[in-house]
Amino acid sequence: MTNSLTKAVKTICGYCGTGCGLILEVENNQIIKIRGDKEAPVNKGQTCVKGAFAYKYVHAKERLTEPLIRKNGELQSSTWEEALQFIATKLSGVKSKWGPDAISMFACARTTNESNYVTQKFMRTVIGSNNIDGCNRT
Amino acid sequence: MGSNTTEAHPIIANRMKKAVKSGLKIIVIDPRGIDMVKVAHRHLQIEVGADIAFMNGMMHVIIAENLYDEKWVQQHTTDFEKLKEKVRGYTPEYTSMITGLRESDIIDTAREYASANNSMIAYTLGITEHHCGVNNVFDIANLALLTGHIGRRGNGIMPLRGQNNVQGAGDMGCLPNLLTGSRPVTDHEYRKRFENYWGVEINPNVGDTQTRTFEKMENGDVKALYVIGENPLLADVHLNHTKGLLEKLDLLVVQDIFLTETAKMADVVLPAKSWGEVEGTYTNTDRRIQRVREAVIAHQNVKEDWEILCELSKIMGYEMNYQNSEAIWEEVRHLAHEVYGGITYNRLDKEYSIHYPCPDENHPGTFVLHERLHQNAKENQTKSPFVPVSYTPPVEVPDEEYPFTLTTGRRYETYNTHTQTRYYASGVKLKQTEETVDIHPEDASALGIENGDIVEVSSRRGSLTVRAKLTEQVVPGLVFMSFHWHEVPTNVLTINEYDPISGTAEYKACAVKLSKIT
Repeated sequence: MTNSLTKAVKTICGYCGTGCGLILEVENNQIIKIRGDKEAPVNKGQTCVKGAFAYKYVHAKERLTEPLIRKNGELQSSTWEEALQFIATKLSGVKSKWGPDAISMFACARTTNESNYVTQKFMRTVIGSNNIDGCNRT
Repeated sequence: MGSNTTEAHPIIANRMKKAVKSGLKIIVIDPRGIDMVKVAHRHLQIEVGADIAFMNGMMHVIIAENLYDEKWVQQHTTDFEKLKEKVRGYTPEYTSMITGLRESDIIDTAREYASANNSMIAYTLGITEHHCGVNNVFDIANLALLTGHIGRRGNGIMPLRGQNNVQGAGDMGCLPNLLTGSRPVTDHEYRKRFENYWGVEINPNVGDTQTRTFEKMENGDVKALYVIGENPLLADVHLNHTKGLLEKLDLLVVQDIFLTETAKMADVVLPAKSWGEVEGTYTNTDRRIQRVREAVIAHQNVKEDWEILCELSKIMGYEMNYQNSEAIWEEVRHLAHEVYGGITYNRLDKEYSIHYPCPDENHPGTFVLHERLHQNAKENQTKSPFVPVSYTPPVEVPDEEYPFTLTTGRRYETYNTHTQTRYYASGVKLKQTEETVDIHPEDASALGIENGDIVEVSSRRGSLTVRAKLTEQVVPGLVFMSFHWHEVPTNVLTINEYDPISGTAEYKACAVKLSKIT
């Protein structure tokens, strides 16, 4: 549910590795302004142009909102159930035919520690391979 | 060194500039006349890829002039003699010839770095994105170790990390050789700890890097690739080659917030929650763990990265159940307790950030690493080895056919493949809204190119058209581009030559030619 009252949420910038503390002002479930957090030890209230202003992507109409599966050469709308089942079947097939090392994972240097922990756990438990790497080489 | 700090890490640059006012001397070592040069005590406009020659040259001077603490080196390091032997030939004269720097600048810099009470080296991809990236980093470590500029506040080596959580992703174990807490997967005892907790046997063999994965896709050994929040098609070198490899896969899964160029090639695309919609932690460039919070409620049909993997995991027969991100973090704390044991969400709410390692809840966190180097050496204490390295030129150097060196990097207002920075808040005036090839006015004039002209840039791997920007930021013979805009896919030009250890590609140097399009 959306809430029209303005609220302020403390978080960390999602761009570079500096780790600036930001305060997000939110109205009607939209970020309307970003300020540097004066209490943040890294930036002490400062922000750069990306951190302060390049946030509209969160609300962009081009955001993906449904799983897509390629059918007849085209990416088509699908459901979570169908998409995850499709991936599971394919991955299991590759794993049993070619072995776990025929599967590779590119993890995400933008997402949280928690999601990254689960990502590598998925590769090492479900798949059984250490073929996991990130964009830390690019 | 090799860091365009004002554009890539603006807030860190602000702090450096502020420190200049209280007496900090900044020496910029960069092939381009970047903005930081304005506040610098000295700019060493080095030839692209000549870093090792320069650092070996510095160490030659430091050793020859006895500007290091012999007793300290003896107590804390090994292989000093090998280092001494290696840098013997890197005289100021020889170093000057390779680097294009004045002998006096090399000597002065060596003296200043070694003799200052506190010296720090901050670097980024200008050091690592070379075929000899690992050797470059080894040489930075050699320099810090030789002079003892490590393990004390105000000293050390600071790689400025490019993504908000690239440090954390690696620390969590998203690397082919390391488990959560950055211990090797080959460490039997450590692996056992995870096997017991996870209830599975873990593959004891080191996996493949991204680079190796591309090679294995080429020879057909890798059949399925799962990509989370990354756009390798645009971001990786030799784009046309990467495209062919992705097409060969039996299964390509892309989990992202936008239909990126890579996602368009996928068999399945999964919609993920974005920054601002999730709870958790990031680890920044100086090892601070900080809390990330949900500000807006995401579209009902998108899921968080970990949630998607847990659901997939369940279908494939392995249960992973977490109530929330904190429950996952508790598991991290438990398994890698030496590093994160004392860092709780509760403490982060109160203290804002904690530097790991922080083994227990009474531990304040570790602000400075390697402090043991300045305590009396205990018996049998592990010493730090020097790793002497030799200079090797870029793999592809300019020649008659391709007379320019292309070096690539980032620009201030844009971020990586620009999927997010396309969406600025209204009213922000941007300085650069499309890609340019930055070229020195002398070179431009010789080719009849004027500012804003459309030119064709070609390498042995591909070509593209782009607007020219005349600037003295580059020297004659050097051109610069970023890879932010898909309309100008710079990585069709770059070379697929990699560091043999890290697998990092040589984004910083390849040979190109330019011509005006009439």
